[in-house]
Amino acid sequence: MTDKLLSELGAALVAGSLTDNQIKEKTANLPDFQILPQANVIKIGGQSFIDRGRAAVYPLMDEIRRNLAEHKLIIGTGAGTRARHAYSVGVELGMPTGVLSVLGTFVSMQNARMLHYLLADQGIPFIEPIQFAQLPLYLAERQAVIFFGMPPYTFWQRNPVIGRLPPHRTDTGCWLISETFGTRSMIYIKDEDGLYTADPKKDKHARFIPRITMDELDAMNLPDCVVEHSVLEMMKNARHRRSIQIINGLVPGNLTRALNGEAVGTLITAD
Amino acid sequence: MTINKTQQHHMQSLLARESLLDKDVMAKTETPVVRMLPNVHVVKIGGRSILEAGADVVQPLVQALGNALQQHKLILGVGGGARSRHVFSVGLDLGLPTGVLAELSAADALGNAHILGTLLAPHGVVAIPPAMFGHLLPLFIHSVPGVIFNGVPPYSLWEHPPALGRIPAHRTDSGCLILAECFGCRSVILVKDVRGLYSEDPHLNPDAEFIARISTDELRARALKTLPFDEVLLDILDTARLVHEFQIIDGRDPSLLSRALAGEHVGTIVYAPKD
Repeated sequence: MTDKLLSELGAALVAGSLTDNQIKEKTANLPDFQILPQANVIKIGGQSFIDRGRAAVYPLMDEIRRNLAEHKLIIGTGAGTRARHAYSVGVELGMPTGVLSVLGTFVSMQNARMLHYLLADQGIPFIEPIQFAQLPLYLAERQAVIFFGMPPYTFWQRNPVIGRLPPHRTDTGCWLISETFGTRSMIYIKDEDGLYTADPKKDKHARFIPRITMDELDAMNLPDCVVEHSVLEMMKNARHRRSIQIINGLVPGNLTRALNGEAVGTLITAD
Repeated sequence: MTINKTQQHHMQSLLARESLLDKDVMAKTETPVVRMLPNVHVVKIGGRSILEAGADVVQPLVQALGNALQQHKLILGVGGGARSRHVFSVGLDLGLPTGVLAELSAADALGNAHILGTLLAPHGVVAIPPAMFGHLLPLFIHSVPGVIFNGVPPYSLWEHPPALGRIPAHRTDSGCLILAECFGCRSVILVKDVRGLYSEDPHLNPDAEFIARISTDELRARALKTLPFDEVLLDILDTARLVHEFQIIDGRDPSLLSRALAGEHVGTIVYAPKD
């Protein structure tokens, strides 16, 4: 191999340091390719949605079925109350964050499997991280896939600054798929209308926020937030997925409206 | 299990009804952590700097590793080296995202892991495929003197978008340090082609000042142009509960390895300041 085979940047990468900001800056200026610009990532909450059982889940599955003709869906699942149970048991026994991450993965996998069986009539596959190479095929053939929302970091999950729980959970795992594949939307399906100034389950005076930028959200310094903090942190650096939408999936028609690009729920934008 | 008015099927637990996004709730989860492999050292062998530097560099180090394995249990991680950088440059030129670059680079480090695994096979070391590595690690460590993995953490398509540019931030140094923290290992040693950390790259400026010991805070404040390890190690170290420092040593002097494993300060130690 001679340097003639490489671009100037290529030669700098092979010979230089990957910690050099000048080299990193050059990699920022190259045009991006969007792998799946027609697909949508939707995340179905664990505690907030799937744990509610049939009353919540069946109508949403019907709404997903009705949207398959129009929209390609990459469906991720949250973990929920069993993950909290596992985290509680694990924290008391001194499990490191990486082991707690494995436990969370198992629960979000159970949820993905359940939804996958409910949608069996549509022939939608459940895919594990190693099967993401087949994602374009499945979307072309079946319009949708289901995956577990936990990022597959397992023992390599980074520690949080505070406490012990994995900081990158299912909200983050779904967002990263949306960012990496350059999808057209990232929709979080929860049991609240979106973002409030406080937890509306605990504070009656909480005010609803239909649209907000990251800077505005940072300035509010809320003690609690409707999505994982790491999603908001990462969105600042995003090249594709610079907004997320949070909707109440208990309200029929909300998912359809969000997929059609309507302003429903809360829109959080990086810009 | 209880079913409340909103038909949520709850299990009773400390965290059942709390928001996992609440800072006060999170603070309650700070408990002492189990050390799974407290007597094991994690040694990262540089890809481009060592493994691809030729037999003159690799063979003496392999001999030193073989000797060390008679006394110490080692987890060896290997970098992807020049091929990872090449695939980054081609992938970037094609417009592919950071997550895809991370996915691709795992293969190069795995190739280098197999090379080192082959050289160390006479010493009883095995290269373990990534899919089973984490779960079977305690078994392997109790059965053999050392194991090798590709140092790449399994971030792949889920790699975080970097603050600047598109090169994946969690590379093989990170994979080794996070692993050591999760398993509560005894030490982390990064084997490179420099004596340690300098104020500038010593290959480019022979007069650069050597830094024997430095905290993550001091290192950030100095804003050096380049570092001989993944920058994200500083953040990983600051949030670590079990591993509080790592040492960079020169792999071109094989005698340094056994001294570093014995706890001697022979290169540069980067440490997290105590609160």
